[in-house]
Amino acid sequence: MFRYLIQSQTHDLNWMAIFALVTFFTIFLVAIWLVLVRDRAFYDHMASLPLDDSKPEKANQDEA
Amino acid sequence: MGKQNNSPIKNQVLMSQVEKFYYDNGIVRKFAIATTVWGAVGMIVGLWLALELVFPSLNLELPYTTFGRIRPLHTNAAIFAFVGNGIFMGVYYSLQRLLKTRMYSDLLSNLHFWGWQLIIVLAALTLPMGITSSHEYAELEWPIDILIALVWVIFGINMFGTILKRREEHLYVAIWFYIATWVTVTMLHIGNNLEVPVSFWKSYPVFAGVQDALVQWWYGHNAVAFFLTTPYLGLMYYFVPKAANRPVYSYKLSIIHFWALIFIYIWAGPHHLLYTALPDWAQSLGTVFSVMLIAPSWGGMLNGLLTLRGAWDRVRQDPILKFMVVAVTAYGMATFEGPMLSVKSVNAISHFTDWTIGHVHVGTLGWNGMLTFGALYWLIPRLYNTKLHSVKLANTHFWIATLGILFYVIPMYWAGWTQSLMWKQFLPEGILKYGNFLDTVTQILPMYGMRAFGGTLYLTGAFIMVYNLWKTAQQGSFVGEEAAEAPARVRVAGHSDGYWHRWIERRPIQMLLLSLVLVAIGGLVEIIPMFTIDSNVPRIESVKPYTPLELEGRDIYIREGCLGCHSQMVRPFRSEVERYGEYSKSGEFIYDRPFLWGSKRTGPDLHRVGGKYSHSWHFNHLVDPTSTSSGSIMPKYPWLAENDLDYSLIKDKIRVLRGLGTPYEPGYEEIAEEDLKLQAKMIAEELRRDGIDYEGLENKEIIAVIAYLQRLGTDIKVKQQAEK
Repeated sequence: MFRYLIQSQTHDLNWMAIFALVTFFTIFLVAIWLVLVRDRAFYDHMASLPLDDSKPEKANQDEA
Repeated sequence: MGKQNNSPIKNQVLMSQVEKFYYDNGIVRKFAIATTVWGAVGMIVGLWLALELVFPSLNLELPYTTFGRIRPLHTNAAIFAFVGNGIFMGVYYSLQRLLKTRMYSDLLSNLHFWGWQLIIVLAALTLPMGITSSHEYAELEWPIDILIALVWVIFGINMFGTILKRREEHLYVAIWFYIATWVTVTMLHIGNNLEVPVSFWKSYPVFAGVQDALVQWWYGHNAVAFFLTTPYLGLMYYFVPKAANRPVYSYKLSIIHFWALIFIYIWAGPHHLLYTALPDWAQSLGTVFSVMLIAPSWGGMLNGLLTLRGAWDRVRQDPILKFMVVAVTAYGMATFEGPMLSVKSVNAISHFTDWTIGHVHVGTLGWNGMLTFGALYWLIPRLYNTKLHSVKLANTHFWIATLGILFYVIPMYWAGWTQSLMWKQFLPEGILKYGNFLDTVTQILPMYGMRAFGGTLYLTGAFIMVYNLWKTAQQGSFVGEEAAEAPARVRVAGHSDGYWHRWIERRPIQMLLLSLVLVAIGGLVEIIPMFTIDSNVPRIESVKPYTPLELEGRDIYIREGCLGCHSQMVRPFRSEVERYGEYSKSGEFIYDRPFLWGSKRTGPDLHRVGGKYSHSWHFNHLVDPTSTSSGSIMPKYPWLAENDLDYSLIKDKIRVLRGLGTPYEPGYEEIAEEDLKLQAKMIAEELRRDGIDYEGLENKEIIAVIAYLQRLGTDIKVKQQAEK
């Protein structure tokens, strides 16, 4: 069954597409693992970046 | 700011010196005004287009305002003028604040702004004049393409210069989307605009036929991806948290879906070419990757919507959040519908119908439009240091716009299904039930009327917004230079914890290069084999280059925008073969520069029209379509019978095409005019025999168009061979 899945119907170019697909999934899975194991403080800092406009302390505007 | 008071990052930041600077709001205001103005223009043109389908005489019977010529005006205005300026408005506002620095160069900011508006004005002038390459969403001819490239480089230098002089070390997710947008649009613009000029306003693409189709839709779908989607995801990641005053739901999710999205999206182009003459392996890649695309797309949608968790009560009061919720929801709908339309069995129904138009407008009206409105309502009061003039009017706009989207999209689904099923229906005797294509058009005219009503509602909402924002600006005071202060940048040496993504987030150039590698892979895998493997485009011996007269006729077909309503691709379905003739083979298009397969059938497919009707039928039909087809909504083209054919460029055209690979004999251009006149004389003589006769008939443009139409699909003689 796997032989039929891998073999192309028309030509032997599928190795390029399969190579790219495998590469993508490898990087994707590695990225998921790296993202999941890292520390929360960094993510909290990054996620809050839009909320800090670096306005001077005395110009305290209501953002809501 | 951050939730944890003892963050090592925050401690480092506190230790460095605080610097004072100013954000440039002037450039943001310029782009905001341009967004609003061009948005109104683009929508008015869209409404006019919609009404022309119901009342054809609304084209004023002028060449400059026919459906075929102003459809690209609408698409270019909506995509590049409205959304384009909206992107820059959002990028210039958010980039400065996320990086805690002013834009790199005020001069480049203004060159970018004025350059972009110049491009739009040139588009508005050249497209109605019929100056077009016919490549969808890349219609502008080569001088304007060069200008686009220059302005885009200016934008890139300004954006990267700002990133390099930033005070915030890490690049927030929105900025990755901006970087990916810039690098991919650069690649796409160059790839799909490789053309050889014949004159200042005319060129031929380097690619032909199937290759041209694949390159065009590699570009076309990724214009959607990297102009309509990724920059707006960047804007979503900034403006939704700002409007909700809460951080994005999951930063981890944003990392994963960003890389997945930019890699997968590029492969989706072939889903515009399902059941066409494109090789099957390329179609399958397009389908598979389009379905996979649901995951990263919905990652973005979920991130946007879940950012509002716990704040849904504010959505009830705040029109800005309402616009943003509908925008993100529409994004989710469109990015589910798109993959479904990419499945071949669904596409067999939807392709060439108004279902595609409905799908497009869920995205453009829902995602792009509503998010732009939300951003404008949020931004303008802040730029003018005041409150929004009327929250009630903004809420009214929201409801009218939402209703407008529904009244636009639902009739389009209805029309698409109706027409498609009528095309496919057979009688028990085995013949087509609706053999006359026109029957399938008149059946859906009421849906076109409803769609125009939906567009009217949407446009009305936009006018309400323009009034509301104008009154807001009047009551406030513009803050052109907004004071800010932030610690100097703290450079983080190395990546001591080994976390690769944190490393790349500090390095915009590496981010750019890795993004470029990922977006290039899909294009290379799909496009290179098309050129290197002969078997992908089998040659057909009987297919010959166009004659000079046919070539001129083809260029008039392109000028008039016939591509907007007529396809030239008979799909291998029994219903299509029965209606049109033999299905289209890839080898028939090897000399088609550009390809003219089309995306929509408001009128019938024309690939096998050659020889089906007499020359006089074509003459009468072009001058007044209702004279041969009662009830037709096709525009009249009387000027084709009045204007003399300008064939002054035919020698240059032959030379350029021969240089690109079309096998005209060396020196043929010297006798091309002679051949042209001879063929024109023969057609004119036949017209005279049918009673169409006036002075100078053989010199008119209509003769060339007839020659071209009569050539279509006649290179292969499958049925005649079968009869023998």
